[in-house]
Amino acid sequence: MSPRLDSSRDALRKLMTTPVRRKYFETLRRMLGPSGLISIREEQFFLVLAIAIGILAGFCVVLFRIAIESARLWLLGSSMHPSAPRVVLVPALTGLVLAVLAVRFFPRVRGSGVNQTKGALYIYDGYISSETVVGKFVLSALAIGSGQSLGPEDPSLQIGAGLASALGRWLKLSKERLRLVAPVGAAAGIAAAFNAPITAVLFVIEEVIGRWSAGILGAVVLSAISSVVVERWFMGDEPLFHVPQYHLGHAGELAAYAVLGVVGGAASLVFVKVVKYVRPRLRSLPQWSQYLQPGVAGLLIGFIAIWYPQVMGAGYEWMDLAMHNRFPWEVLGIIAGLKLLSTALSFTTGTPGGLFAPVLFMGAMLGGSVAMLEQQLFPSIAVPVGAYALVGMGALFAGILRAPMTSVFMILEVSGNYSIILPVIICNTISYLISRGFQEVPLFDLLSRQDGLDLPSLEEEREQEILRVEDAMHPTMGRALLGDEVIRSARSIAASTRKSTSWYRWARDAGAC
Amino acid sequence: MRMSDETAKCTVCRQPLGENGRCQHCDEDGHHTWTLQDWRPLLTLGLIIVLGFSFTSLVVNGFREKQSALAAEYYQAGLHAMETKQAAAAVDDFETALVYSHDNFQYRLKLTDALVASGATGEALGQLRAFWDQRPGDVQVNLKLARLEAQRQHVDDALRYYQNAIEGAWPERTDPFPQRTAARFESAEYLVGQGRQEQAEAALLALAAVLSSSAPEQGKLGDLFLRNGDPGRALSAYQAKLNQNKNDDAAILGAAKASFAAGSYATARRYLVESKTETQESRALLEQLERMEALDPFSKGATVKVRTERTLAVFHIAIERLATCGVPFARAMEATDKSFALKDPAQWSGLAKWAEQLSPMMSERKLRGRDDVIESTMRFAFQAEMAAQKDCGSPTLNDEALLLLARERMGANR
Repeated sequence: MSPRLDSSRDALRKLMTTPVRRKYFETLRRMLGPSGLISIREEQFFLVLAIAIGILAGFCVVLFRIAIESARLWLLGSSMHPSAPRVVLVPALTGLVLAVLAVRFFPRVRGSGVNQTKGALYIYDGYISSETVVGKFVLSALAIGSGQSLGPEDPSLQIGAGLASALGRWLKLSKERLRLVAPVGAAAGIAAAFNAPITAVLFVIEEVIGRWSAGILGAVVLSAISSVVVERWFMGDEPLFHVPQYHLGHAGELAAYAVLGVVGGAASLVFVKVVKYVRPRLRSLPQWSQYLQPGVAGLLIGFIAIWYPQVMGAGYEWMDLAMHNRFPWEVLGIIAGLKLLSTALSFTTGTPGGLFAPVLFMGAMLGGSVAMLEQQLFPSIAVPVGAYALVGMGALFAGILRAPMTSVFMILEVSGNYSIILPVIICNTISYLISRGFQEVPLFDLLSRQDGLDLPSLEEEREQEILRVEDAMHPTMGRALLGDEVIRSARSIAASTRKSTSWYRWARDAGAC
Repeated sequence: MRMSDETAKCTVCRQPLGENGRCQHCDEDGHHTWTLQDWRPLLTLGLIIVLGFSFTSLVVNGFREKQSALAAEYYQAGLHAMETKQAAAAVDDFETALVYSHDNFQYRLKLTDALVASGATGEALGQLRAFWDQRPGDVQVNLKLARLEAQRQHVDDALRYYQNAIEGAWPERTDPFPQRTAARFESAEYLVGQGRQEQAEAALLALAAVLSSSAPEQGKLGDLFLRNGDPGRALSAYQAKLNQNKNDDAAILGAAKASFAAGSYATARRYLVESKTETQESRALLEQLERMEALDPFSKGATVKVRTERTLAVFHIAIERLATCGVPFARAMEATDKSFALKDPAQWSGLAKWAEQLSPMMSERKLRGRDDVIESTMRFAFQAEMAAQKDCGSPTLNDEALLLLARERMGANR
């Protein structure tokens, strides 16, 4: 050993003599690991990975949004009112192409991305295939861009989850972490899609993970924030909707909002019932019909869109107009109804795409319609149409997707308006209760059960009674038999005991009594 | 770190155990660790992020350019539609432009213009109020709101928005003074139009205070003062304008009108004569002045003959006015409307007596050298015309000339 190395070792020994320095060196030694390579606990690495997932998911969602817009420009043209032949033919023909691609090459792109992510978490050990991600990206962009009545948020969620799953596998995460990585990606995907990190975190907790889990919360928050930062970097930080400033003038106005809650609850119920009834029936049709269903749905939507082009695509631009009094109440009501029909058509036929944007669209239109009607009936009440449209979105979100907390925070985040919280809470609660009252199983659970999966649900978990051993025990009925008693005395004891006692009934059925 | 001997896998991470029977992936505390045994995956991840960022930037920039081009295209189409009075098409175009440039405030403002033009005032108002909530100090929003409220006859709201516009913030990199002055003018014009004379006078005085004497808007200020019934300040404004350009015909006509309104007919006539271009208005004003001169026996340079002739003409005009408007008028009205009554019957009878007294003197010969009779005749004519104006309404051109002469004379006497 050279004298120079000896002196270095002496210096190092001196450095390590003081307790504080020893602590630092101990940390460094642990990080370098036994083999001298960087080695950190997986949960710490998971947090770092969550940021990377968020960034990459942010890129994907931005590109996905651009892909949808480009597809729309390419297929339907730049005008808000495309020509009638184009409106009819484009969704129909694209639907046929989508069906072939979905049935032949990307069978997993059909259905809800939320449930597939949930399935990855609870059943498939975090596995989401890369083909599904690619398929979801391309097919959803084509479907939404061609005018199918679906939104980009659910596919964004699945793209984020799939990307996270692929990264987890590539970096050889443990099975436990690999299982959890999909919701982290899902949070990033939906956060970027809505430009709303709190909403994304809550939604993933409420709908994907299905329980509050401290172990994953940090990673979910980090990925959601990093994806939103990326999204805002590229697309700007303007809120999704420009809503007029809202002030609650009088507490009595809340009663007017309650009406919207009732209407929203009823509309939610209709939508869920339609999906519940139609989807399994369409799925049970012969295999060849699967190639036609999205095309037929596109054709019908195209016919509707000749008169009401608002029903096509996600419809964010129309929501903005509805918030600014651009349509009379009758038209808003009709558009809401037709959008419900179009979305049910697109969704139940298995066309790739999500429900979030159509749900918000229906809510905005219904909210605007109720506001204008109330304006006419009760001119003395201040009824801001923009605020009603916004609250209507929350009502439908709470009623259809049954994520009450997410629905409240989403409205606050997408509008950047906190003063609207009271009407939102009232309206969402009413809508949620109506929907729950008449439709026991929430939409996502319904879809997973239709697909043959039984996934845990936060709503069910919330209401599950905790069963203890003592709950299963009963007090003794009459005197207990002693070891030395004969059959006869046992019979007399049984006869003196209540007839409904189960052991006695069992004995009687068996012919002993 | 616990290990399961049967499976030879770590119970924590379920990875196969190493040759020494220890898990390679768990630390001494039993936590799974992630060990960087190969630096390539992390480097690749970093590279993917960098490449992803570059690629996304490239795509986003390309797409934004395309969107901007589309937005500009639709915006131009909207402007063209507005020019050709196709408001509905303009609304569609501006809305489409906003789809591609969602946050473009200028497009949003233009859309409200198109909405107003297409008759959708309520929608435009709703949008503008929403903008106002976001930007209460924005001058353009306040001005548009003021115009809409003015159109809806909501005078107080309109005035409030005009005031906000005057005091508000103008977009950066623009000189606020001319725009603020324009807002002040618009506000003052609205007040004048609404007949709110005192508020209008205050607004106009504030404008006069901020406008320099060399400002090109002095002529406009003069017009507004004149419309608001302040010919003196109007004349000052016109004179300021004429100091900038003495050949400004609009200012000359304005000064003439202001002088005329102030009763300075000679000055008005001088201005009208100075004017190089003749308009219908200036011609009518000049004719009125000439008519007045033709009826004024006391005008400078009038010979004795001219004075007597003019006195006779004035007397005849007054008598004719009395004949059509005085007692016969009252009788005619009483026949059709029993409730009709002259405002001052005694005045009419007094005028009739006065006419009877003057009548014998009404010849060229008797009037010659009798300035007192001429004076009395003129006073009679003025009183007859003023009484007739009260009870009988619109005078003829000659009667009007006499009334103006009366006003001039009274002003001179004061």
